[in-house]
Amino acid sequence: MNTNNNVYTVIYTTVIVVIVAAVLAFVAQKLGPAQQANAKAETLRQMMAAAGVKPVEELYASKNDQILDLYAENIAEAYTVDLKGNKVADLSIERENIKLEEGLKVQNRAIKAGQGASLPVYVFKSGNIVIPVYGAGLWGPVWGYVALKPDCHTIAGAYFDHESETPGLGAKIKDEAWFREKFIGKTVEWGDDVIFSLAKNAEATGATNAVDAITGATMTSKGLNEALNTWFRAYEATFGLGAFFNALEEHAVSETANTEEE
Amino acid sequence: MASKLKETILNPIFKGNPITVLVLGICSSLAVTVQLKGALVMALSVIVVTGLSSLVCSLLRKTIPNRVRIIVQLVVVALMVILVDQILKAGEGTYAIDKQLSVYIGLIITNCIVMGRIEAFALGNKPIPSLLDGLANGAGYGLILIIVAFFRELLGSGTLFGLQVLPASYVPNNLVILPPFALILLGCIIWVHRALDKDLQED
Repeated sequence: MNTNNNVYTVIYTTVIVVIVAAVLAFVAQKLGPAQQANAKAETLRQMMAAAGVKPVEELYASKNDQILDLYAENIAEAYTVDLKGNKVADLSIERENIKLEEGLKVQNRAIKAGQGASLPVYVFKSGNIVIPVYGAGLWGPVWGYVALKPDCHTIAGAYFDHESETPGLGAKIKDEAWFREKFIGKTVEWGDDVIFSLAKNAEATGATNAVDAITGATMTSKGLNEALNTWFRAYEATFGLGAFFNALEEHAVSETANTEEE
Repeated sequence: MASKLKETILNPIFKGNPITVLVLGICSSLAVTVQLKGALVMALSVIVVTGLSSLVCSLLRKTIPNRVRIIVQLVVVALMVILVDQILKAGEGTYAIDKQLSVYIGLIITNCIVMGRIEAFALGNKPIPSLLDGLANGAGYGLILIIVAFFRELLGSGTLFGLQVLPASYVPNNLVILPPFALILLGCIIWVHRALDKDLQED
């Protein structure tokens, strides 16, 4: 058979591509749920590591099912807020239907655009409130989860991850326990120009909202610093002084309403 | 026949190693050799991809139109790579490793060894020898990957497979972690290989 004529070539390539596409579509459909379950369990592990539900090693040694159980046992409520601090929607916390806001990249874009963000807030039964941060490291995205104590001011714990930072350098944000443990007890200074500072010699200034950058990982540290500040700024209306004033304003409005009624 | 098959399997692993002799697949061997665990998964993935791609292309070899054969090969290789990536992502135990290897699993598509062996061997040979040739070339690649990763993890982190083996007083060498060191190490391996094998020496 002449395999070099045009009609044969076109038909052949078409058939091959259709077969390959069909195989891939089938596989993606079959494996999709398992992949999503893995991704969700991974997010839950990182959130619970930040919230201090269990030590990191134990969380990573647990199966996905145990992680779902653990989350359902420990979570009190979960919801999303917008940039003005208003609640947007509830996130289901039922064991069989756990909902998370996993599109941090999309939300990061919404924060930068200044509108349309729905930022997750996870309140654990311990009172710790977990919020995500997301930004660009040196080679790819870096993100993490920061747990605030019930006072919304002190950091109870943090867990960071990255897609492709240099192992041994930038990857320390995830690999080294001492790095994330440095955040415990630090504060988030809502309303200040610098909400949080992850920079060279930052601890030497004695500020409570500062952690030293990682030696040899300047760009990753800078990226994480940017991620922390961008996201903290986005949550300012929810947790910061803004939230206090908003509440005050609402209170004043209802007071006036009451007076008028009288 | 038996000796020819043996040659097909052993040659790519030692004498005709794709990395040290053909100097193919260098880029990924620099990127994924910081830790042994990642290198091992990468090696296994490449073995599976080269083996299956060679097998499929060999089965199709008489039907592939010559003018578009590279494109057809590419489609087959891409299929295998995506399958490996998807399966790694779906496994509960392999998910973390896939995340760690990130784009490099996907970049197996661009690994010259895969396409090189299809062009040079699978298109002109029967399926079974082609499968073995693919597997063996993947294994040859994997062997070098693991040797490089062994030294890089040992000297760069003081660990092997994540377990501390050097005393805590050892200060990890940061150069070892960076890609240029893999190139230096690779150069040393090529040097040793050539010194041992007279046939590879040029006048």
